Amino acid sequence: MKINLPWIIFSATILSISFSAFGDSPLPRIDLSKLPAMQLDDVVVPLPSEVFNVLDKLGTPNWKDELRTPGINNHGARVQIALLLGSVVAEGFVAVEASDKERVKQIGRDVLELSRAIGVEKTVLSRTNLIVTKANSHDWVGIQSELDGALADVKNAMMELKDAQLAHLVSLGGWLRGTEVVTSVVHKNYSPDRADLLNQSGLLKYFQERLATMPPRLRGNQLVNKIQKGLDEISPLIHQKITPASVERINEVTGQLVKAINSSA
Amino acid sequence: MRRFFLLLGFCVVLPSAYATVDDAISRALEAIDSYVKEGYIVRDDQWGGDLGVEERKVVPHMLFKGNDYWFCIGTDVDNARVTIHVYDSKGKLIENDSWQKGRFAAARVQASATGMYYIIVEVTSSPKERTSWAIVYGFK
Repeated sequence: MKINLPWIIFSATILSISFSAFGDSPLPRIDLSKLPAMQLDDVVVPLPSEVFNVLDKLGTPNWKDELRTPGINNHGARVQIALLLGSVVAEGFVAVEASDKERVKQIGRDVLELSRAIGVEKTVLSRTNLIVTKANSHDWVGIQSELDGALADVKNAMMELKDAQLAHLVSLGGWLRGTEVVTSVVHKNYSPDRADLLNQSGLLKYFQERLATMPPRLRGNQLVNKIQKGLDEISPLIHQKITPASVERINEVTGQLVKAINSSA
Repeated sequence: MRRFFLLLGFCVVLPSAYATVDDAISRALEAIDSYVKEGYIVRDDQWGGDLGVEERKVVPHMLFKGNDYWFCIGTDVDNARVTIHVYDSKGKLIENDSWQKGRFAAARVQASATGMYYIIVEVTSSPKERTSWAIVYGFK
């Protein structure tokens, strides 16, 4: 095989320039397609409150209207409980937006109960106690922090138990409920700025990839399968201009999935 | 990542290792503290690991148009130098502000579009072979 040495040297130089040390003067542009895979980390899944924060700036959503009472049953399969745990924590962020003290306290107790069902309750006990304490003192920012921390603690505990797949499902459950709420708010008062918040194709792709690479025993789970199909339906809607009709459809799909999560557990 | 635990899973877990990780998180929180006073809500979650000199880590991150973010990095290693910068999905540097002070650095992004962004951290110099780092972020 003929080796094109000048071309190799040229390519190596370009690659080296692409990833040269940033130092104090960062490169104004980098070629993301050339990033070595080993440098890439997992996607950071945002909190529902990051989206809610923007919606608050764009208007005054009636957050109480968005609150719902998920059915908590801790006797389901671990997959379902993980998804439910994520959606319940997302509900907690809605309850914070609605300044609903009693609902927040109930959600704190639900998080503990669901964590107990999958054997990670010790990691969240102090968090859930603080959620109740902070709800009593209307410390809404503090509650958000505890909900976030509880989510992270549960996922870390799952990873320690070599159950990273379940940790991904917790995130996915939260994203589904968060997206259901966001689409509901946007649908009630559509504007391009509000709809822009649904430009989450990168995050959706991340979740689709996580599901696609799950072990067959999990992929074969009826609920996981249903969610996979739901995400596939949402995907083209998010990849194009987001219209009032697509917002409505995304709301329906995510609503059905959240309902399935609640009813299966 | 808060995934530090995963990292530790591959190592012999020593008390000093925990101390290093905890210290990197403490430094990152120290770096973001002044922004808390400016009303930024800091996530109670951290991302991090360890890197050799001139090694980088890329953390994809979904940001929302209308939010104002500060990303802060810290390391516990004395005399180490770390950087943090934010690029959009087209590879363009998009931060509105940034600073670097030895083992602390930060970058601010007022997201002009909702989408995936890339947080790139680097250890530019360090007296140690591997340098623990942690990032935290806040938004308002």
